[in-house]
Amino acid sequence: MRPRGFRITSLVSHIEQFALRSVPIIVLINFLVGAIVAQQGLVQLRQFGAQTFTVNLIGILVLRELAVILTSIMIAGRSGSAITAELGSMKMREEMDALKVMGLSPIEVLILPRLMALIISLPLLTFLADMAALFGGLCVAWGYGGISPEAFIARLQTSISLSTFMIGIVKAPFMALIIGLIASVEGLAVQGSAESLGRQVTASVVKSIFMVIVVDGLFAMFFAGMHY
Amino acid sequence: MDDIGILDLSVPAATSPDIAPTISPIPEAVIRVRDLVVGFGDKLIMKGLDLDIHRGEVLGFVGGSGTGKSVLTRTILGLVQKRSGKIETFGEDTDAMTGLQRRATERRWGVMFQQGALFSGLTVKQNIQVPMREYLRLSQRLMDELARLKIEMVGLKADAADKYPSELSGGMIKRAALARALALDPELVFLDEPTSGLDPIGAADFDDLIATLQKTLGLTVFMVTHDLDSLYSICDRVAALADGKVIAAGPIEAMLKADHPWLKAYFHGKRARQLQAPQRSTLP
Repeated sequence: MRPRGFRITSLVSHIEQFALRSVPIIVLINFLVGAIVAQQGLVQLRQFGAQTFTVNLIGILVLRELAVILTSIMIAGRSGSAITAELGSMKMREEMDALKVMGLSPIEVLILPRLMALIISLPLLTFLADMAALFGGLCVAWGYGGISPEAFIARLQTSISLSTFMIGIVKAPFMALIIGLIASVEGLAVQGSAESLGRQVTASVVKSIFMVIVVDGLFAMFFAGMHY
Repeated sequence: MDDIGILDLSVPAATSPDIAPTISPIPEAVIRVRDLVVGFGDKLIMKGLDLDIHRGEVLGFVGGSGTGKSVLTRTILGLVQKRSGKIETFGEDTDAMTGLQRRATERRWGVMFQQGALFSGLTVKQNIQVPMREYLRLSQRLMDELARLKIEMVGLKADAADKYPSELSGGMIKRAALARALALDPELVFLDEPTSGLDPIGAADFDDLIATLQKTLGLTVFMVTHDLDSLYSICDRVAALADGKVIAAGPIEAMLKADHPWLKAYFHGKRARQLQAPQRSTLP
């Protein structure tokens, strides 16, 4: 009775919107942050003659925390706001009511594909963010700290393990769920006025970013408790 | 079994002057509302409202602004929760329905919202195909064919099919919304102020369109309207809403004779008189 084609098309188009189109900005911002962390690491650790530990610093910080947090914040600002605005304007124009009277559930038709697209997109973007930030670190370590790429990679291999990478990636789908749910709830809360639309979009972004950081803290406590 | 009823439509409802419709035995009610109470917060909008929509008729629904015409439509459609009372759609109590029955009912009606409520991310053709995709298993070619048919039926040009709602004029949006409401060949159509925002020629065209479609497709039409022209030209019966109740329901002639102050003001006001003038003999 219920053809899935409509939803698959919607899912694919949202993955394109959320993932593909945000690749440049995510790569750029993570590259820059990786470079900045490397530069500060080099300056500070040089005082102790421990500048090669910069590689450990970058590897662990980026993979465990920075890449996933920065990506989530970018997506909350970019895609979370878009979801709230789209759903909100659909509600204002009675498009939601039109769906309901056709016997379609807005949750199934509009919200689920967006949530799924976010959950698929965010881990992929986090992986790209990891690579971009490590590359940024490598460039600065080479140009500014005199650590050759070969030495950087060899050092990286000894300082991180698969679990370091996985701790970051595992958080991504949860962040996606948080962003998607907050964005959808705020979108559905839009009332008739343009002012209300603006207010809910702001609330969506602020709440998402706040929750992303809080949940990341909870994950950190959880992993520390597990001695991971 | 209900389909037999659709064929009975050849009897034009307007010819029988049934002033008190609930008494006359012939009409079958596709929508029957009894003792409906709807409210928001501590404000009651509907205070024990009764309404019947008979199969095959065009029912015009009038009422002052803010009296709850849209709320009633939305309550029947299930978008607004009722406090108490009973709503029967196609002879079945909505409270006793399962989710599946509810969906089956939703297939049998089409709704045209006041602002069209077309999906802004989809073209006109895709908008019309949304309900088809959901309920029917058809090839894309057949759906394109059907969409073209509906577009033609409501008097839109063929090139409107691939336009987005934002590229359409107000009149075209209304027609496209009507085409979408008719996508699944419904038995009952809800129209919320179909002629509002149209110029007099466009409004008259739209009235004709509704009348033609109603006759050829055997539709039942429930029309919320403020347009006196529409009431005179295409409505078989008129129901008037005031104080949370239907204060009168019947053919337009009966409405003109009614002595409720609001009805008097509505049907014998300045605008109404201008309309009636040419219908009577020419005045000096």
